[in-house]
Amino acid sequence: MNPYVTLVLILVGMYGLISSTNIIKSVFMATLIESGVILLFLNLGQWNGGVIPITDDISLAIVDPIPQALMITTIVIGSTVTSLALIISIKIFHNHGSIEWKDLKK
Amino acid sequence: MVFVPVLFVFLPIVTAIIMFLVKPNWIHSLVFVLQVVLAILFMLYVMHLQTNPDDALLVFGGYDVRIAISFYADTLNLTFVGLTIFMFFIVMYYSFKANRKEKKYFFFLTFLEGVFIGLLLTNDLFNLFVFLELMSLLVTILIAYRKVEQSLKAGLQYLLISSIAAMMYLLGVMIIYYVFGTINIRLVTEAMPLYQDTMLMRFAYALMLAAFMVKGAFFPVYAWLPKAHGVAQSSISALLSGLIVKVALYLIIRLHGIMFLAPYGFSTVLLWVGFISSFLGVLFAMSQKDVKQVLAYHTVSQVGLMLIGISFAQGTSFIGGWLHIVNHALFKSLLFLSAGVMIKVYGTKKAADIRGVFKTLPWTGALFLIGILGISGAPLLNGFISKTMIKYAFQDDPFFYTWFQLIHLGTIVSFIKLSLMLFGQPKQSVSVEKSSYRQHIPMTILALVMLVIGIGYQPLFELIFKITPYDVHVFSVQHVLEYALYGFVGFSVYWLFIQKDYRPTKLIREFTMSFPTSNMWLVVVIVLFLGLTLR
Repeated sequence: MNPYVTLVLILVGMYGLISSTNIIKSVFMATLIESGVILLFLNLGQWNGGVIPITDDISLAIVDPIPQALMITTIVIGSTVTSLALIISIKIFHNHGSIEWKDLKK
Repeated sequence: MVFVPVLFVFLPIVTAIIMFLVKPNWIHSLVFVLQVVLAILFMLYVMHLQTNPDDALLVFGGYDVRIAISFYADTLNLTFVGLTIFMFFIVMYYSFKANRKEKKYFFFLTFLEGVFIGLLLTNDLFNLFVFLELMSLLVTILIAYRKVEQSLKAGLQYLLISSIAAMMYLLGVMIIYYVFGTINIRLVTEAMPLYQDTMLMRFAYALMLAAFMVKGAFFPVYAWLPKAHGVAQSSISALLSGLIVKVALYLIIRLHGIMFLAPYGFSTVLLWVGFISSFLGVLFAMSQKDVKQVLAYHTVSQVGLMLIGISFAQGTSFIGGWLHIVNHALFKSLLFLSAGVMIKVYGTKKAADIRGVFKTLPWTGALFLIGILGISGAPLLNGFISKTMIKYAFQDDPFFYTWFQLIHLGTIVSFIKLSLMLFGQPKQSVSVEKSSYRQHIPMTILALVMLVIGIGYQPLFELIFKITPYDVHVFSVQHVLEYALYGFVGFSVYWLFIQKDYRPTKLIREFTMSFPTSNMWLVVVIVLFLGLTLR
């Protein structure tokens, strides 16, 4: 995959965070940035024809296992952050009846 | 003895889980056992390191040191670990009576202690990221703990902006991994001179520094801090302002001073950022009317002062900034905790409605006054020493020196507003029974430690930093007179401008930054830092 695609994901997420007025959209834009970073990290660690690093055969051309180990942790953390953010958004909606940032001012 | 750092992280987490699972409420007393055990282990470990310095490095799992997670203890993070154990003890003691029936409160608080110590001790950049994210999750839950609308909003903003910042940090880690092939902080530090001037390293530095700017609430990405610290309950505000914000300064010392050795002319940039954010913090604090908002905006200002100190990366000012981190933890938490007692007794957060604290709560009033004297830099208290050391580096530069004194004056003005709460007659009938002597014990301990640092700083410095501060003179008439003069000028400024509540004051007070706007500022900071590193 082309690494520029992931950069586009990150930039779109940034633009969305600046422009969106909706809480749920902001949460999704943060997730989008995170996906971009994860894909970029994984993308730079592998090449065409590389073998997944779950083997004992050291003669194979395996890809770098460390980015994959790090990124699976990031995915787990990201899902917790997203779920907590969504839980708080639901609480805000129940308390206030709106999920627009501008309606929340005092 | 080698495995003590692991206990620092796991004992709090295991205790938190036990407290959550065991039903009766008396199990919450376990937190005190935990703090005592941690304090004893900490002292034993520090003494052990004096004789065996090789035990400072701990590699997990028996893997190659380049890929394994490792912990490393040096003077910098051991100071922070000691401060962490002390501050958590104070906050737990203070809030024990009020929150003793709440399982979740103690679960999250104790869990946060383990995570925070892990964040300080780790020697692995990715492990640091994991601890950072865990910390922001737990802090979000503690901010939004009461589930009222303002605190939910503040918690959500903190969670989102700090997770975006953590992603920027992760991009920096990625670049470092592909350049060095390792993310071990010490190995990267050793190899840094080889690659420091490359374009990739400049990118990594800018991205990571931008992420830490968000964590430490520096200008212009400070918007989350006053909201979060102003709405949380008082014990949590004390912990957040006193300790949790300081992690950004710790990380900036690591990144800027130790890993990169103050590169790309960024000392000047950080100096300016520190000056601007401490000035704006004071400006906002002067106009606020809510007691906790004043204290929260003051955190922005004081964190800026610390950044001024540590931007020099070495020398007297740097140590002054480092010491100010510890001092600010003491006096800001003392102020928040005693303000919490007052707010509870009077039933209001408005500074104008609280009067006559010396009559109703004499001991709380005295402790609050000590906190005020400490934060405004009165001689004999700890704030004076660190502020004197911070301004050492630019005492011959009239521009920065005047600016620093203006910030000092602003601090005094806004605390004169708060000190008026202590005098006069109570406006309504107050129920003094709501305060308890148990809450006053931890606050008294804080005030005593402030006095000890303020008077006995010399032996303390020789012990920790191995230097003798020759240029700080506590017992001089000049400083007392100077402080009295600033107090007088501050009082007149308050009386002539702030108290009249003119239109500019109102405009400043009502200025709030929305979440999309603070995201825009984050993008501006990233782009600006990238541009400045490439200069």
